[in-house]
Amino acid sequence: MTRRPRLPKPEDFTAPSHSALVAARLGLWLGVAFALCFATGLLSHHIQHPPGWFTWPTRPVNLYRITQGVHVLSGIAAIPLLLAKLWSVYPRLFARPPLRQPVRLAGHGLRRISILLLVCAAFFELVTGVFNVAQSYPWRFFFPQAHYAVAWLAVGALLLHVAEKLPITRAALSERLGAKAPSEPIGGPDRSAAGPVRDDDTAASGRRAFLRTSAGAAGIAVLATAGVTVPWLRRVSPLAWRAAVGPQGVPVNRTALAAGIVVPADFQLEITWPGGRRGVYLADLAALPQRTAELPIACVEGWSASAYWTGIPILDLLGHAGAPTGRPVRVSSLETGGLYSTSVLPANHASDPLTLLALRINGEVLSPDHGYPCRLLAPGRPGVLQTKWVARLEVLA
Amino acid sequence: MRTVRLLLLLLGASAVAYGGWLLYPQIDTTLPWLVGGPLLHDALVAPLVALAGLTLSRLVTDPVRRYWITAGLVATGTLLLIAVPLTWRPASAPPNPGLQDRDYPLELTTALAFLWIVIMIILILIHVLSRRPAGRSADDRG
Repeated sequence: MTRRPRLPKPEDFTAPSHSALVAARLGLWLGVAFALCFATGLLSHHIQHPPGWFTWPTRPVNLYRITQGVHVLSGIAAIPLLLAKLWSVYPRLFARPPLRQPVRLAGHGLRRISILLLVCAAFFELVTGVFNVAQSYPWRFFFPQAHYAVAWLAVGALLLHVAEKLPITRAALSERLGAKAPSEPIGGPDRSAAGPVRDDDTAASGRRAFLRTSAGAAGIAVLATAGVTVPWLRRVSPLAWRAAVGPQGVPVNRTALAAGIVVPADFQLEITWPGGRRGVYLADLAALPQRTAELPIACVEGWSASAYWTGIPILDLLGHAGAPTGRPVRVSSLETGGLYSTSVLPANHASDPLTLLALRINGEVLSPDHGYPCRLLAPGRPGVLQTKWVARLEVLA
Repeated sequence: MRTVRLLLLLLGASAVAYGGWLLYPQIDTTLPWLVGGPLLHDALVAPLVALAGLTLSRLVTDPVRRYWITAGLVATGTLLLIAVPLTWRPASAPPNPGLQDRDYPLELTTALAFLWIVIMIILILIHVLSRRPAGRSADDRG
């Protein structure tokens, strides 16, 4: 039997993976992954660019480590789930537009546009996300801004998609996977007539198999990368983009060389506040009462590593200098320019006794790459805000 | 349900509008990366997957065996996709101690080898288990 090659129709796809029962379940899982990703991403964005109403707690000290770990791992899990979902609904791509009915045609067009937007945005977020964690930038746009903007597009398009599909999805989710006659097959209402005769048990087990494979692939993807933030998986994950290695046992994102750091021989930490100023020599800093705390460096890229940091609590240091406390503090680096050369400690972080101006890491003097002569280490904040090579503390009004 | 759908529609449209407004300043550099995903998927990846599925269904007719081979292929594809940025990084990036600290091609090969050994073992087990009852019944009769 020979047939002329033609563009396939939805009815040509007869595999059980294209059932609406499968698509609805994958959609639900993917929705959960995207919701987790969006919520944790929004948190991370707000911690770095806090609006007036936003406060981020200082406890538990691992909070950001967890939220950002969830962010990258739910994104990783979404990769196989998105591909499985797209495969499940692939036949719909070939649905012919109702050309003779203008009203239905308009609806069809709007749906197609919103789906295209959703797929564009979903791919964009996942692809740029995995490239960013590997710090590989084969593009010219500014990643944090673009990733944030497209996250809104993705979530908006997802809500539009849910609004449109809600009745079908609800019906499909309430039906058992082994249902004899799926409520509405993806291929169109008359698929069973067009497709080859297939016994129901085979179709049901085929649906289950496809869902199991998709969930399994998501699990393997998470297992293969979770070592970046889950300590006992470090040696298991072959594709962890970071490990707890680096100078003095902790990875480094930006080296002293890359930041162009030169520490003057007569280095003085400058502490300023409205109406006052004081310089403190490094030797005097080391002579102040020190505190050691186990705090994580938790990066926006999802990797994290804990270390024992020793230094002076910022609260004590300000008190020692005679500066007011209980206010936000701007921390500036010896690094001039650069995106992360300054950060603002909100008042609750500046007043926390665990917020340290660290001089030592794991018992050793900070190496240049870890921020010698001194660096900020505040509980529960992203690594990019833990300013290194600190030169100045500025108590804000 | 109608109210919920309407609400979702409104929320969704506002989020899309806000995202579009945020993205607008970078639209020229991001557009190829936005459109690239679906284009590559729909025109290249999905047809290739379809072809692979058709070929596999001709080669392996037993559904249980095909299930495990498919699972292996899907997991392999997923791991390969995640590995792309780790193995392909522009050399111009600044040095970064502790980043990409391992030999990724080697680790990936080892993981894939492990995966396929597990799948092989499962396939052999299925083969052995599916033969045993038949063999035993033959013995009983004899």
